[in-house]
Amino acid sequence: MITELIHWLFFLLSVLLAPIVILGTIRKTKARLQARRGAPILQAAFDLIRLAQKGETVSSTASWIFRAASTIGLCNVLLISWLVPWLSFAPWAPPADLFLVVYLFAMSRIFTLLAALDTGSAFGAFGASREATLSLLVEPAALLGLVALGATSRTSDLREIFSFTNTHLQMNPAIWLLVGTAIILSSLVELSRMPIDDPTTHLELTMVHEAMILEASGRNLAIIEFTHALRMSVLFGLSVQCFMRAAPAVWKLPEIIQAMITIIGLLTIAMAVGVFESLAVKLQWRRIPEFIAYAITMSLLAALIAVAGGIV
Amino acid sequence: MIVLTNIELTVLMSAVLAALMVGSVHLRVNLWLYGATTILIAIATGLTAYPNEEPSLLLIALLIAGLKSIAIPLFLAWTMDRIHVHRDLGALVAPPIAMHSSILLLGLSFLLTQGLPTPSGTGAGWYGASAGISLVLTGLLLMLTRRLAISQIIGFLVIENGIYVFALTQTRGMPLIIEMGILLDVLVGVMLAGLLTFKIQETFEHIDIAKLTDLKD
Repeated sequence: MITELIHWLFFLLSVLLAPIVILGTIRKTKARLQARRGAPILQAAFDLIRLAQKGETVSSTASWIFRAASTIGLCNVLLISWLVPWLSFAPWAPPADLFLVVYLFAMSRIFTLLAALDTGSAFGAFGASREATLSLLVEPAALLGLVALGATSRTSDLREIFSFTNTHLQMNPAIWLLVGTAIILSSLVELSRMPIDDPTTHLELTMVHEAMILEASGRNLAIIEFTHALRMSVLFGLSVQCFMRAAPAVWKLPEIIQAMITIIGLLTIAMAVGVFESLAVKLQWRRIPEFIAYAITMSLLAALIAVAGGIV
Repeated sequence: MIVLTNIELTVLMSAVLAALMVGSVHLRVNLWLYGATTILIAIATGLTAYPNEEPSLLLIALLIAGLKSIAIPLFLAWTMDRIHVHRDLGALVAPPIAMHSSILLLGLSFLLTQGLPTPSGTGAGWYGASAGISLVLTGLLLMLTRRLAISQIIGFLVIENGIYVFALTQTRGMPLIIEMGILLDVLVGVMLAGLLTFKIQETFEHIDIAKLTDLKD
């Protein structure tokens, strides 16, 4: 009972804090590499509070979907963060089938697209079109990787796949590393981060995610920003879980140390993304399939290993 | 559950790196990956020296690392700079699709080698053979799906690596003199091909092999 309560406490704390800290770490790393001091780590939280206090303008052509979509998206991602084992500690949750989780992600994307199309602005439309193309390309990568994990561990329940008591995958570092890489590569696409889309610019030639949320303001925008950051922490957290399970020694460690490894891993990934975003150049739109192809390749390799029955 | 030895792991990793090579259209990235592939093969050669009690394999490993993974990529990079070619846009199949098919070919060669009789007593049996066959197929795919003469050379080098890996993992090591002869052949071959590419560029003002059949007036 007490441990369950502690789990809930830490889980709620990480749902609230992880998105802000990860976003702050990425921005801080980028600022440092550009020889700036950068905003404080918690700046994202201040931004959210500022946005929440601002007034809101809604286009007169927008229907109820425009404002409902952000709330639906937030609820969706909160549900995903409860179901997906993106932290090594988690409160009780019902079994989460991996197909359910992948298509919950798809559902939150659909509502973002609808909200973008709803106002009838040209920017929203092309942002939605680009996002739809990207999601079409990136879905097989994520799905194939997770299915490879599921096939090796003989279950499609994501919690069961990632549980430390499931020994099918314990001595299988190769598949964990490949799936972790596939998830991180596809999450860069999914979250419209650097080689695909520059989250800091509002140049019409390049933006994807920013174009879709251009019409949102005030509290609506605050919800969308937080949803996006939470989705980022869930995806990065999932890849951290994959990477840490690649080391067979981690499986037998006490829970508290695993939790610490998770937090350190999340911060490391955030810093790595920051470094990568400072070094990388945004890809031409036509070359993006070549980037996504690498994510699919990692998943294909993982699937091959799953077919071969696991490789040590 | 398959348990791999270190040798098998390194050669399989080199096969995977070669497959990743097919996906990039940047020739410089291709050369980097080729260098990494060959370094892994050199490491595998060094690892084979101990169980087979063939100290000469260590020398060969050093030669491979020095010549094939450093000298040849540097020479090709130099040639590329001279003729100002940096990117091969590919022909027939788009590079991402070609990369996925080369991964599938890796799986195919894995299946194929399960039926091969493997000589006992060597460091790596089936999995080494599947890495070798996969490297050959990947090189073939690279040669088929690219247009530029430089890419043809790289594809040829990958095939050569594949044949070497197959020989390395299926035998107890070849005599030093033969290995050195092959290495010299590869080096001279690449030198000649590089110079030829240079001449082709000079004469035709491109190195696109798809257009080489056109008559020049």
